[in-house]
Parts: sequence; structure tokens; C-alpha cells
Amino acid sequence: MMKIENLHAKIGENVILKGLNLELLKGKVHVIMGKNGAGKSTLSKAIVGHYDVEVTDGTINYKNKNVLDLTPEERALEGIFLSFQNPVEIPGVNNAYFLRTALNAKEKYQGKKETNAAEFLKLTRKHIEQLGMKSDMIARALNDGFSGGEKKRNEILQMEILQPDLIILDEIDSGLDIDALKAVSEGINRMKNGERSFLIITHYSRILDYLHPDYIHILQDGKIVKTGGPELVNILEEQGYQAIEKDL
Amino acid sequence: MQTVDLSLADNNHKLYTHLSKLGIPGNKTEHYKNFAIKPILSKKYNLSVAQEVQTLKGSKLVIKNGKVIEYPADIQFNMERDFNADITHYDALYYMSHIISPSVISIELKKDANFEIEHICDDIQTLFSYRISIKTAPNTHVEVFETFQMQGSHNSLLMYGVDADIHPDSTLRWIRNEYAGENDAVVIGSHHCNVQKQGAFELKTFDFGNGQALHIYKVDLSDYAWTEAEHLLLATGEARRGNVVAINHNKPYAKSVQEARSILKDKATGIFDAKIHVAHDAKYSNAKQNSKAILLADNTHMYAKPQLEIYTDELEASHGSTIGQLEEDLLFYIRSRGISLEEARKMLILAFADTLINSVKNPEALEKIHQDFEQSYYN
Repeated sequence: MMKIENLHAKIGENVILKGLNLELLKGKVHVIMGKNGAGKSTLSKAIVGHYDVEVTDGTINYKNKNVLDLTPEERALEGIFLSFQNPVEIPGVNNAYFLRTALNAKEKYQGKKETNAAEFLKLTRKHIEQLGMKSDMIARALNDGFSGGEKKRNEILQMEILQPDLIILDEIDSGLDIDALKAVSEGINRMKNGERSFLIITHYSRILDYLHPDYIHILQDGKIVKTGGPELVNILEEQGYQAIEKDL
Repeated sequence: MQTVDLSLADNNHKLYTHLSKLGIPGNKTEHYKNFAIKPILSKKYNLSVAQEVQTLKGSKLVIKNGKVIEYPADIQFNMERDFNADITHYDALYYMSHIISPSVISIELKKDANFEIEHICDDIQTLFSYRISIKTAPNTHVEVFETFQMQGSHNSLLMYGVDADIHPDSTLRWIRNEYAGENDAVVIGSHHCNVQKQGAFELKTFDFGNGQALHIYKVDLSDYAWTEAEHLLLATGEARRGNVVAINHNKPYAKSVQEARSILKDKATGIFDAKIHVAHDAKYSNAKQNSKAILLADNTHMYAKPQLEIYTDELEASHGSTIGQLEEDLLFYIRSRGISLEEARKMLILAFADTLINSVKNPEALEKIHQDFEQSYYN
């Protein structure tokens, strides 16, 4: 699905990613774990083309394209979706209008017929119910005055409506209570179809109990230093990152 | 028609002393200094002032080249001579327009009313000078929607103004929709609004387009009177446009809220020069001012000057001003969902403007303002 090779990136003058290599396989759930400042969020930002991040070397190949040559919106239209750690609030932009514009942009890009207002309403109503969101949230301004949990559910709503191929979840579990974590995890699990790939960035194992990852990657000082199965999570939980560092 | 030289005025007029004290405005006059007024007042114009003509009853008040050609069937108007103008106004053009056009189009509203004032100017190189007086009786609620048709008025100047007298417990909601398009006519409005005890003055101005336009207001608030002034400016091309507002809290418990939002494109200049003056006797006042401006190009300029001048201790007051570009974080978030940069910009600009536009409750006015905003943005 995506192959990242020798990725070097910096934010301002701080070099963060230092030759990172990572392959995300089709239909698999990949998890990235690492200490604070290891470069996890920088990696997700580099993949989606965030303006903060300057990629100085390397390639990110996805569907036979180097995504580094694409604008952020082109990357999204190609099926890459990032659920933000801190989704921004945009007063005055209606949530439904925003989401329908995004859906119609994708449909247009794919040469499909645009979803009309009535179909869109039906579609969102179903997902809102599944996510346990308040029904008026779709009519409110985008994330404006939403609680942390509401913002995360709204990210998952966008993901379910836009049906991307590669889903990056940057600390989707931070600040969620038990019910919200369950609702968000169920939303993510609904998206699994054997084709779609997931890259989950997290500090905690709690969400992984729901998501059942295939691969765990440890990111340290701008590089992937270890890759393993779900058992790596248990080692980290019991012994911390020191256990990984000893092996290196 | 006659020709007027603006450096001369009728020195027998009772307002002439006030005009001569202030002098003809120039580029150093504080509230005109970003407006480039000198070339405008140096031009020779034909003069067209308010006159009585045969007037038809209709649905709105239509003033064409200074003449009232239509008025709403359910309101009364007359041409009032020897009008009792405000003699403490800070704007020389307020006096000048009264002197040049001594007959005021006077409307006295004894019951609730809702009507449109349409200004039509289509003569070239002409100074259209006239004044309108609106008086609301106690306990009445009046809404005025003001529009402008300036096509064909090449090289002209509309110098007009409204004198509003809001009686106790009455409300005047004044919505001004000024869409200049590509027209090169200049509009200068110099207004005075006297809000009596427990009266309310709601001012909503929507000013879009190219060219030059400046509105100067003096608002006097009595006990428990309040005013809410909202200004949305979208200036394009080489426009110099904006508002100069002085709100005077003269008595206790007066309240004023001002919100200005400006969007500047191309090489446009925006002006928001606002002062709230709270007098020594105006205890327990509440005054808020806020100005936000978005600059969409490198060569745009915003002159924002919110000021509070306070002579009492017991009040609540705040003011603030921000000038910047569209927030990169917000643009990125929108683009990360597959929406183009141009569409993302439009979304954010509309959101910024809609906060003020959507406060208009009259559906026809709302639609017209939306339409004009979009047309101006895309031109």
C-alpha cells in the first residue's frame, strides 16, 4: 500500500526524521509507538503534506506515485486520511456543508455522481447514530465548541463518510473516556475490509485491545528501530522502552 | 444644474462657523488621512441637490440624483428647511452637506415601519448632495434597508448623510448594503444619530467592492440607550473604503457594542477608525469594540484604530484589534479532506463574513447581501 524509504524531514531547523523506512501492507493494521519527540506525529504530517514539515530526502510511494509530489488535497483525494491529534475548530463553517463538500470533491475526482443533499443526510444520520454522536453536531460549526471526545468522534465520522484507503490515526485515543474509546474503536473496526490499511500512532495499549494490530513498529530518534507482532506491546507495557533499547 | 467650487460655501449659513472652524478636510485631517480626500474635493462637479419633484407612491424611498422620485405609500415625508442639525459634529462634510443642500428629506415615523431607501446616481461628474432625516416616535420599531445604484455616475461624488433621532423606547435598525462593483464614483456619508432614553440603534453595514467610500458616524447615547454597530467590509482592486465611528456615552447605563470585520484583496485599503467616548456622567456604561481584518494579498493595507476615551471609573469596557492572513492550520485541515486551496479559502472567508451577514433577519436583504458579497469576492 505505501512504502516509505530513507525519509528525512525537519520542522524549522530541527531534524526529526533521519532515514526512516517503513512499509504499510494492504489490509493490515500497523501501529507506531515511541517516546515523546521520537517523530511519530512528524511522520504522519510528512505523509499528508503538512506545511510545518520539510522533507529533505527520501520517498513515499503509494499507489505507484511519490506522494511528496502531490498537494495535501491531492493526497486526500488519492485516499490518504489523517485523523488529527488536535482537530482545529472552524467557527462559521457548517460541519455538514464541509463534509459534503469533501465527499463531493472526492466523488468528482473519481468521476462518480455527486451525492445529493438528501442522500448525504441519510448517510450521515446512520453514522452519527453508530458513533453515538449528538444529532445536532452535524448542523453545528466544524468542531466549534466540541469537547475532546466529540472532536475525535467527528474525525471518525469524516473517515466513515469519505471511505479512504489508507487511514492514519494520530493519538485518536488521547483524552477519550471508556465509552468514547469504544465507539471510536468500533468505528475504526467497521472500516476494516481486508483492503484498507491503518497506521495507528499511540502511546497506550488500551485502544489496541479493540483494534487488534498486525504489526508494531518502534520509532526512536527518527527511525524505525524494531518491528514485531502484537507481543511487542506487552513487552513495552511490562518493561518500557528500555527493553527495546537493550536489544539494539 | 449649477457648478460648485467646494473651497467656497455660503458664509451666511448658520452652520458656516462650524465648518470654518473645522476647515475643508485634507490629507492631514485625522479621520480622512487614509482616504485620499484631497483629490476628490479638488475636482469640479456639477451640483445636484435635494429637490421636490412630482413623487410617486410606491414600495420604497427612491432618491435619484438627489430627487425623491418614489416613496413608500405608508410613510410620510416632506422637504424640511432650516433643519436643526447637530452642532457638535466632528466632521466638516457633515456641515458642508447641510449647507450645500439646506432642504432635508425628512421622514417622521409614528408607527412601526420597514422600508428600503434606494440611492440612484447616474449623472457623470456630479456632486450629489442631500440629507435625510429619520425620526422615530416613542415605542416604535423601524428597519431601513439602504441600497445604492451608482452605474453611470462616472467621476461623481455622492455626499449625503442621515440624521436619525430615535425617541425613547424606540428602535432603529439601519442596514446599509453598498456594492460598488467596478464603479469609480465616490461615496461619502456623514451621519448623526441621537439615541434618546432607552432607545436602540442597530447599525449593520455591508460594504463591498472597488473604488472609494467612507462613512462617518456620530452616535449620541442617552440613559439606558444602546447601540450595536456591525461593519463588514470587502475591499477589492484599489479601493479605499471603511468607517469612522464616534460613539458618545453621554448618560448613565448606556451600552455600545461594535464589531468590524474587514477582508482586503488586491491593493485595497480598509479603514476602521472608531472611538467610544464615555463622559464623566455616563457611569455604569458598557462599551465593547472589536476589529478583525484578513489581508488576502501583500499590497493590502488595513488602518484599524479602535479607541476608548473614558472619563468615569464605573464602567465595563474592552477593545481589541487583529490583522492577519487566513490561518494556515485551518486551511490545511480543510485541504486534508480533499478540498482545493481556492475552495478552502472561500470557505473560511465566507465563514468570517457570514457571522455578520447572517445577523440580518430580513430574508430579501439577506439574499441580496450574500449575492453582492459573492459577486464582489469573485470579481
